[in-house]
Order: sequence, then structure tokens, then C-alpha cells
Amino acid sequence: MKYFSFFAVSFIAIGLGYLSAIQMGPVPPLGLLLDPSHGFWQNSYSEDDLAREEIEIEGLSAPVSIRYDENLIPHIFAENELDLYRAQGYVTAQHRLWQMEFQTMAAAGRISELVGEVALELDRMTRRKGLGYGSEMGMKFLIENDPETLSYLEAYAEGVNEYIESLDQASLPLEYKILNYRPEPWTPSKSLLLLKYMTDMLVGDRDLEYTNLRKILGDELLNKLFPEYPEEVYPVIESGKVWGFEPLTVEKPDSIRYPDDELLLDPLPQPEEGIGSNNWAVSGSKTKSGNPILANDPHLGLNLPSIWYSMQLSTPAYTVKGASLPGALGIISGFNEWIAWGVTNATKDARDWYKVTFKDQSRSAYRYGDEWRDAEVRLEEIKIKGEKKPFVDTVIYTHYGPVVYDRSFRGDRQDTNFALKWTLHQGSNEQKTFLLLNQSKNHGDYLDALDHYVAPAQNFAFASQEGDIAMRIQGKFPLKWEGQGKFFMNGEDPAMEWEAYIPNDHNPATLNPERGFVSSANQHPVDSLYPYYVFDHTYEHYRNRRIIAELESMDQITMEDMMKLQFDDYYLHASEALPVMLDLLGENYEKSEQAEKYLSELREWDFYADPNQKAPSLFITWWNKTYVELWKNLSNSKSPIVLPNNYQTSKLILREPEFELFDHKETPQVESAADHVKKGFEEMVNQMRKWESEEGDYSWANYKQTTINHLVPQFESFSVKNIYTGGGRGIVNATSKGHGASWRMIVELGEEVKAIGIYPGGQSGNPGSRFYQNFIPKWANGEYLNFDLRSEGDLDSVLFTTQLTPSK
Amino acid sequence: MKFLGFFFLTVLLVVLVNPWIPYWGVMILIFILGFVMKSGNLISFFAGGLGMGWAWMGQGLYISLSTGSDLSDKMAGIFGVGSGVMMLILTGVLGFLLGSFSGLAGNLLRKIFHREQRDIYRGPVSY
Repeated sequence: MKYFSFFAVSFIAIGLGYLSAIQMGPVPPLGLLLDPSHGFWQNSYSEDDLAREEIEIEGLSAPVSIRYDENLIPHIFAENELDLYRAQGYVTAQHRLWQMEFQTMAAAGRISELVGEVALELDRMTRRKGLGYGSEMGMKFLIENDPETLSYLEAYAEGVNEYIESLDQASLPLEYKILNYRPEPWTPSKSLLLLKYMTDMLVGDRDLEYTNLRKILGDELLNKLFPEYPEEVYPVIESGKVWGFEPLTVEKPDSIRYPDDELLLDPLPQPEEGIGSNNWAVSGSKTKSGNPILANDPHLGLNLPSIWYSMQLSTPAYTVKGASLPGALGIISGFNEWIAWGVTNATKDARDWYKVTFKDQSRSAYRYGDEWRDAEVRLEEIKIKGEKKPFVDTVIYTHYGPVVYDRSFRGDRQDTNFALKWTLHQGSNEQKTFLLLNQSKNHGDYLDALDHYVAPAQNFAFASQEGDIAMRIQGKFPLKWEGQGKFFMNGEDPAMEWEAYIPNDHNPATLNPERGFVSSANQHPVDSLYPYYVFDHTYEHYRNRRIIAELESMDQITMEDMMKLQFDDYYLHASEALPVMLDLLGENYEKSEQAEKYLSELREWDFYADPNQKAPSLFITWWNKTYVELWKNLSNSKSPIVLPNNYQTSKLILREPEFELFDHKETPQVESAADHVKKGFEEMVNQMRKWESEEGDYSWANYKQTTINHLVPQFESFSVKNIYTGGGRGIVNATSKGHGASWRMIVELGEEVKAIGIYPGGQSGNPGSRFYQNFIPKWANGEYLNFDLRSEGDLDSVLFTTQLTPSK
Repeated sequence: MKFLGFFFLTVLLVVLVNPWIPYWGVMILIFILGFVMKSGNLISFFAGGLGMGWAWMGQGLYISLSTGSDLSDKMAGIFGVGSGVMMLILTGVLGFLLGSFSGLAGNLLRKIFHREQRDIYRGPVSY
């Protein structure tokens, strides 16, 4: 009996001990997680609680000192660049390791390793788009052409790895504990993957949808609903710019045979529409101080930990400060003692699709002109959590690029084969651009730095202490004939190839334009006089006009004026569309107390989407309901398409309320815009009435519910919900439900550079730290943090200092 | 007295040794404690359990209060258990389960040896 009791109790004890160490279904190992000495409790400490005065780092050539200011922003002082980037790797990993690794896992198509089969489709798609392939090409490019940058990437990686090696169970970032895995070593190719991830986030195409639209609408209607240029264009580079170069010529083929079937493919997810960014620079002639001022606010998906991490990097040669991307070297949007620069996305149909005809089922050769070309096979092995065997995806590569859609992936038919051509697949060196910008002293240096930049294309705004302001649209742009790449193309026909690329010095650029400012907000890059073909589906029509109008009207500009403009809530779309809608509605609606109340709120509205306003909620709901009705004929199509944008739709209901497509074909009567506006209004009244009874207040902030999600959206309590802030899609303050200004920066380039900045998050990636989300209230309020450059001797409001010393 | 001694030794073990070894190492030590402490089954079970449980809960509470972090509330959200207090209770309950069975198992092992010794040197003894 005593033996039995002993063995029974021991069995229970060992069983409990064992079960607490393993993951059971979605439940993480409880013993490891709850143990106060090693589990999640240990992540309650903030960085200043754990501060260390000295850390030995292998491979440093001289001591590096790091001063953290009151916001936990590190200021790294190193003797040379190798030490600087090694320290950047170490410091960034200290605060953001899990995020860095998770993002590169996503870019590599390895999320299934962490979460299991639910992510398999996503991983397959990532790999089929060739993100991993692209970073391999990037690595090859560095080995062959730029060993210096590669050595910096290696130093950064070693810095990250030094930190990873120092981790024990207690200090492991929380997400690893919950998801039950461990960090793997960082490598230079992961840094490249991160830049590919950014490209993927920012670049899309609508070639599939346009192919279908062309089939459904015909060329004439397509051009009417989706004109390549709006009638009034407010481009990035000022209209009327004289281009000082002799353009290359490109011949449009005489006859073009497009693949003519309607395509029922399931389209790839696209970058969120309305995702975009603003930047501008005003010259000293327009500012109160006489110094140029530069402003930048990139809009991205709002996430925690924030996509940006602020820091200052100093060597004896230069000091640069701003926003870095955890995983990439240097500062991405920032300033130094001489210049400031900022980026916005400059999309220009950088991805094209080719229909591939294989010789036979083996898909080893495909037709190209009169010959058969050999295809290459790339096996993508995807490990899946909880499964013994990996999933192996066979991806065929043609000379265009990977065959993304085929019989095994989102294809509707056995002979579906479409290859993706994308500059992301070509070896390139974006990292170099940022390293050079970090130490640029003038406009010439800035131009040299940009020459290395391929993708994702950006509008690089620039201002210098010397008094220059500039804008250049930089990316590697294929030289296209008119209409090339707008639709899926026939890959058998060599005439469909991109023949050449536009030379860097033919890319649109301007220096010190007469109007005294440069600005960009993802709109058309140039007016129609630019000698090369320019097309993209996503060009912005509202933020750009508002910014240009405001900057034109301003004089004696101060940093405060720029803060106001970045936080500007003027709803230009509403100001143009609402009067038309009210007009079309007239008195022709179901009268009720509610309807009258909503109408009077709309009529009295000043068109600002401030958080306390009620009218923006009414307008957006009315507009969305109306929009659905207006385009029902199109959206009923069984193949994927896109619908005309808000700008074209608003113009149409004003000018052609009887437009043929507004008539719903399935009804006997003939509808016009007025009917849809009325229906939209009634649906809005119903929805808002319901909202009022269920949720109460429908002021804008309550209604749009801006939320910053943790990178793992299931970790809801690590997210910040219902943030009280204004703005919205198409508004200069572009803060919508889940997107918005991911970083705001304003720099005045006087004798001494003055700078302010903020982002919606905090420096720490640890949800338990007091620095995890501490910037959010200020960001939501339009406030900023001081971002002035610091010297090493400046001890004002230093939180703590760490010395990195070479290990003996 | 035996209970208090066992209890405080367990608490001391958790506070002093747990930071350096994983929780299952602490379980082994409590097991050894149960073996050497010559206490009854009930005492080994509850002193080991309450010792580890209270120590874990106390440490969690101490970390929460001293850091001012709301992490336990956030973790409660992930576990779907309401509030950070529940995370403390969960931590305590798990500590109790791990400690109690370890202590009891140690005590039961001693009894096996104990009886064998008596068999050899003194003959069977009935209590």
C-alpha cells in the first residue's frame, strides 16, 4: 500500500510538473508562464528598472555610450560606423526583438511555424510572391557590389545576436513565452527581408481587376470611370515643370492581344486603400524664421509594437536622428545637423502579370516568341506547428518571375498560370540609400544617396540648412508604352516585355520651385506633360489638394503651423460631395424626427472631422450606403473588379446623375443617382438610429473607433482600443479605424536644427513596460515630443546611461 | 510547529532558489524536504503546497506592486479570466498543486524506507 501511495502521488507530481512545461492546445506552458521568477511576471519591469551601467560586447573596437532620454529614446555615441551599427543592433533588439523577428518570419512565409496550419495560405502567398527570393537576390547584389554595407549588416546582426545570447527564461520577451518558442540568430538577410516586407506592404496592383473591367465595360467606359488623369491634377512635382532631359523612346506594339477571358482568380490582398503618407518642405521665403521646415507623416497600419523605433546615431563625423525600422540599419525618416528628409509612398504600377503557356503538364518549359524556354522550379518548404511533415509548395519561376497563380494556388482552371514581374525580385540596395542619407550634407549628397534606391518607390522630400528644398520620386521604374501593364499581359509575346528602365536622372524631381514649397501625398507624381507613361489605380485626390491649398495660402510659417497642418481634420471629400447629396435628396425622403435631426447636423457642419463632431459619422455612413447602391451593377459581377474611387463617383453624381450604369438592370424602373442618394439616406437613418439605441453617442471618435492592434490581433489586451482622435481616410490627418500617421516629424533647419516627433506607441515592445504605449495619448491629441539632437555631454533629462565596452 | 517549519522552509526555497532554477527544480527540492522533514502526510502536503503557492502569489503581488505594471491585467485578458487578481490566484493555485504533491511524494518515500529499516532492525511496529 505504501509503495502504491508513493508511486501514485509521485506520478501526480511528475505529471503536474510535466504538464506545466508543455503547451496543451492553445494553452501555453503554464508553469513556465506563471512561475514568478521566470514567467510573465518578470516582464512587468520597465527598461529603466533593468538598466545596466556597463555591458560587454564582443567585436566592438571602442567603447560606445548610450544615453536614454526620458522617453527611452536611445542616443548612441560610437567612434566609428561598424561600432555604431553593432550597437544599433544590440539596442534595438533589447526593446524590439520579438517584433523584428516576427516581421521577418512573416516576410519569409514562416508564420505557420508559429501558429500552425491557419497561416498556411498566407505563407504560401508570401513565398509565391517571391519575397524570400527577392531578399536572396538582394544578398547576392551586396556580396558582389557592396561589401561595405554588407559588413555593417553583419555588425548589426552580431549586435542583435549578442543580445539574444544574453537572454534567459526570465528576460525572454513576453510573446515568446506565450507562443512558446525561442528567438533564432539574426542574419543580414533578415534585414533585407524586412525591407522586402515593407515593399510588399506598400505596393499592390489592380491588373487582375482592370483586366476584368475592360472585359465588362469596354475601353471607353473604363477610361470614363477610371481616367488615368483627373481633370484637375495636383501632382507631386509642380505642374508646368520643364523637364531638362531628352526622353528615351518606347514603341507601342501595333497589335496587342490581351488574355481575353474573364478571370475568376481570388485576388491577392492589396495594401489598404487610403494607406499613404504626407510630406512637405517649405523654403525659408515662406517661414517666419527664414529657415526651411520639413514635415513627414507616413501612414501605415497602426500596430503595437509600433513599426517605428526612434533613435539618435552619432559618430565623430555626423549625428542623425529620427525613426528607424527595427531590423534595418540607420534612420529611415529623419534629419542630421545639415539636412532633413521624409518619405511617402510613390506607387506607380510596379507589378505586372504575364499569362504563361506551358508546353505540357510537367511545366518544365513555356512558350516565349517562337521558342520554348526552360522554367525553373523552386521548392518552398513550409514547416507547420504541430505537424511532423512540412508542406512543400512547388513554385515555377519564369524569366518574368514566379508563377503565383496556378492550378494549385487560387487558380480557377487547370491552365491558369500567371507570372508576376516585380522590381522587388531584382537585386537592389535600398539599405545603402538610407546609410548615405544619414550622413548627407547637402542636395548633391541626397541625390547620390537616392541613386541606389529601387523599391518601394518613394517621394523623398528634402530640406537643408543651406536653404534648399527638394522632392524626388525615386524607384526603379520600367519604361512602359501607354497602357502597358495596366492589364494582364500575354507572356508568349516578347513585345509585352519591359524593354528598359527610366534612368534615375529622368525620374521626376524638383529643386527650390518658385511656389516656395514641395509636397506629396500619394497623388499623381507629375502632370500629363511628363514624357513617360504613368499609371496607378491608387492615386490620392484629396489630401494632396488640401495640403497644396493650405501651403499656398500660408506665409510666415512656424513649426506650430506645420503641427496644425499634420493634424488637419478638414474633410475635403465631404465638403465636395455632401452639398451634391443634400441637393439630390431635396425633400424627397421619409420624414421623421431622427431624419430631421441628422439632416440639420449635416447642414450645419463645418466639414472638420474632429473627434467630437457628429456629422462625419452621418456623412460617411450615408456616403458608403449610397456608394454601394450607385455601383451595384458593377459589384454584382462574379469576377473580381475594383469600383470607381470617391473622387470620380462624386464628380459623376454631380454632373451625370442619370448616368447609364446607375440604373439597376434587374429592376423595371429607371434609377438615377437621386434614387440611390435617397436610399442611402434612409439606410443611414436606420443604421444611426440603431447605433444610438445600442451604443449611444455617435460622435466621430466613438463611431470610427480607432484601434491600434498588437501584431498578433488575438492578443486583444495588448492592443489599445477606441482612441479619442479625429481625422480619417482621405483627410490630411489620415487616422481611420486601423490606419493613420505611424510617425509625425517636423524639422526646422536653422543654425541649430530644431525637431519634434511622435508615433502611436512607445519605445518598448514589452506590453508590461511603462514605455509600451506611453506616446499614444499625446499622439491622439496632436502633441509632439522634443527630438532635438543631443550631444554626448548633455545630461539634461537623461533616464539612464549604458556603456557598451569591448569584451576583453 | 512541524507545519510552520516545513512551510517557511518551502517559502525560503522558492524565494532564494527559484530565481536560479526552473520550477521543477523547486519541486525536487520540496520533494527532498518532504523526505527529510519527518512530518505526516497532511503536513507535507499542505506545507509544501501552501509554501510554494503563497510564495508564488506573494512574488507576483510584489512584482506587480513594485513595478506598477498592469501586465497581470493584460495577461488576464489573454487568458480570458477577468482581472490581474485572477492571474495571482492562478499562480498561487498552480504553485500549490506543484508544491503539495512534491512534498507528499517525498514524505511517502521516506515512509517506505522508514518501514524497511524497522523491518530489519526492530521488527514490525504498529502505531
